[in-house]
Amino acid sequence: MKLKILLIAVMCGAVMSASAQYNTLVIPDTLSGTTFNLNIKDTFKQFLPGNQTITGGINGNFWGPTLFFNQGDTVHMNVQSYLNDSTTLHWHGMHLPAVMDGGPHQIIPPGTLWQPYWKVTNQAATFWYHPHLHTMTEEQMSKGIGGFIIVRDAAEAALALPRTYGVDDIPLALTSRKFDASNAIDYTSSHYGDTPVVNGTLHPQVTLPKQYVRLRILNAEMERAYNLGFSDNRTFYIIGNDGGLLNAPVSATRIKLAVGERAEIMVNLGSDAIGSSFDLVAYNAGQEFGFGGGEPNTTGTFGSLLNNRNFNVLHIVVGATTTGAITAVPSALVSNTYLTAADATVSRTLLVTDGNPGPGNPPFNFDHTVYNFNTINKTVHLNDVEKWTVINSNVFGHTFHIHDIEFKILSRSSHPVGAYESGWKDTYYLQVNDTVTFVAKFDDYADPIHPFMYHCHFAPHEDGGMMQQFVVVDATGVDNTGKAAGGFSLYPNPAGSRLFVSLEDPAMQVYYVTITNAAGRTMCMLPRPQLAGGIDISAYAPGTYFLQLTDELTKKTTVKQFVKQ
Amino acid sequence: MARRNSAFYTLALFVALLLHSRTMAQVVVNDFSLRNVDGKMVSLSDHKDAKGYIVVFTCNHCPFAKLYPPRLNNLYKKFAKAGVPLIAISSTDTVVYEGDSYAEMVKKAKKEHFLFPYLYDNTQAVARQFAAQKTPHAFVLWKEGGKWVVKYCGAIDDNGAEPAEVKHRYVQDAVEQLLAGKPVTVPETRSIGCQINLRSK
Repeated sequence: MKLKILLIAVMCGAVMSASAQYNTLVIPDTLSGTTFNLNIKDTFKQFLPGNQTITGGINGNFWGPTLFFNQGDTVHMNVQSYLNDSTTLHWHGMHLPAVMDGGPHQIIPPGTLWQPYWKVTNQAATFWYHPHLHTMTEEQMSKGIGGFIIVRDAAEAALALPRTYGVDDIPLALTSRKFDASNAIDYTSSHYGDTPVVNGTLHPQVTLPKQYVRLRILNAEMERAYNLGFSDNRTFYIIGNDGGLLNAPVSATRIKLAVGERAEIMVNLGSDAIGSSFDLVAYNAGQEFGFGGGEPNTTGTFGSLLNNRNFNVLHIVVGATTTGAITAVPSALVSNTYLTAADATVSRTLLVTDGNPGPGNPPFNFDHTVYNFNTINKTVHLNDVEKWTVINSNVFGHTFHIHDIEFKILSRSSHPVGAYESGWKDTYYLQVNDTVTFVAKFDDYADPIHPFMYHCHFAPHEDGGMMQQFVVVDATGVDNTGKAAGGFSLYPNPAGSRLFVSLEDPAMQVYYVTITNAAGRTMCMLPRPQLAGGIDISAYAPGTYFLQLTDELTKKTTVKQFVKQ
Repeated sequence: MARRNSAFYTLALFVALLLHSRTMAQVVVNDFSLRNVDGKMVSLSDHKDAKGYIVVFTCNHCPFAKLYPPRLNNLYKKFAKAGVPLIAISSTDTVVYEGDSYAEMVKKAKKEHFLFPYLYDNTQAVARQFAAQKTPHAFVLWKEGGKWVVKYCGAIDDNGAEPAEVKHRYVQDAVEQLLAGKPVTVPETRSIGCQINLRSK
């Protein structure tokens, strides 16, 4: 009994001294291999003393696992949503077929399994995944649904870089939240949080070894930008942008990251005393107008206690050096072959428009065209290199993000393109009075019906309609839409644990299969399914089901009924 | 700042204030008849001498709702004999959540020794009538002039996962105040839990 009391006293003491100021930074769990099981659900987390906060989680209770992909592998995702609402899961930065992309068109209804898969062709870099359901993105991201993707490749593996995850290679998802009096996340009264949240940790502290460490930093905010540096103004080295390592490290004391952008940096702790500490700080005071979170107000729709001021993001304590410590920054990284303006055969211009205050005014959009689910705004030909110029002479800053590809920024009107943003990008900060031109090749994946998105990554802006969509088409292809849909049959019927699809023409390609039950619930969504081994229906309740199959050639859909025993 | 949403939120705030002032007025709910896990139909009128009811919308699957059955049993034990029985209702969309089917409700009530009725609102009509938002979402009803008046709605208490840390027992306090003939000091709190997804009709 005495021992128990003593233990409790010691534990309370430890908790109190640790929680007096800081909480230990959560390092997200990892998943690796080629099959990834992601369960999205409504759940709760103890953020603050008192009641728990209702959150959305993937395999956990706020911010999901980090997925490790190897370049060249084909990765299979089992995304099962247990949310009360529909959702989508977008693989931000991944080069993949549009039908696997998880944009607003791949809607996962409640209770449904979605199984996209693709071959990883991206370079080694830090990507992420998050919901992308139109008008619901801010709500679902605010609840904490999302996670990192880390791609590894041979070129990166050959370099002497920190890569022991959670030890000298640390992912940092930066965001902030506002909590109401009942500890619920409040994403409606303001788009900016009042409390920094890193990997789902409030007031985080991490112990990092006395050597060079690598930070993979993601701006996972709704709207706030970060102007990051260290509290002692030490120099750090930017080694990677959104889509890959740079040709050579770039030294800096500050880096701006707008919503959706990532940077990999290396920072030297080798000269610090063990036990000493410093902070990663958002130097957000006094930024240019249009910098998200630069507004002066602390209340209202765009108010926050963090607005227009510097605040600590992460407290770093220096710990013991590890074996195999990295002691230097490589002088060169990888050799990227970047596209140039001369490579482009198509040029496009987008204008940021509207978004003026006042009732009845249209929301922010491009070219006075608010997002419409059924309108394809641009058609790109497969393998074309295109030059896109986005002009913002509008009333606020934005971040521009395009799906499918990584691009190279050619020019900025606000300032010369910085070395810090000289690598492969998929998202960039578009300042007020800025014109940014980038070049990209739209290769590998054509699909005449499933679009990719380009949009402002400010969650309230994309939810409001500052988003458009493009299809990539193979102009050399033959139009097969006039042909008859491919025939098929289902067996055995009634079926037991597996349902098999027999194609009349064995060479027929299947574009999509969905199965719904008699009540209308979607059981599974299978883009381009590999049907040879049958479909696992072992978990289905006995009853009547409907299988809808769309063939690749004609994109026509046929429905057949089957019975599960 | 110069953004289109500000007008929208001003409007939303206005509507919220309007709704808030409305909830301050007397809200009356109608009786209902729903099937209990024992197969029998249950109505508010079943207990002729009930002074009031504690009605809790809950469900099987919601992680936050799963924290509360022992506390629901305690509320039932404490107040049923004083004329304020507790009734739990599941209005969850069973098309989406097969784990909230009637058969699964029967299993859960048995396994977790529910002392109180656990009713299946399969059309979601009762959830709509109460405007129940979350699981759990509690309502304290009081019989006044033959009508069922909502005297409290919101959370059961202020800590789901740590019952020992609860500081405000909203439902218990409301019922005790009503039994003592006093006004309810906290008539409304924010209910916390999983959203009750109402099917489009």
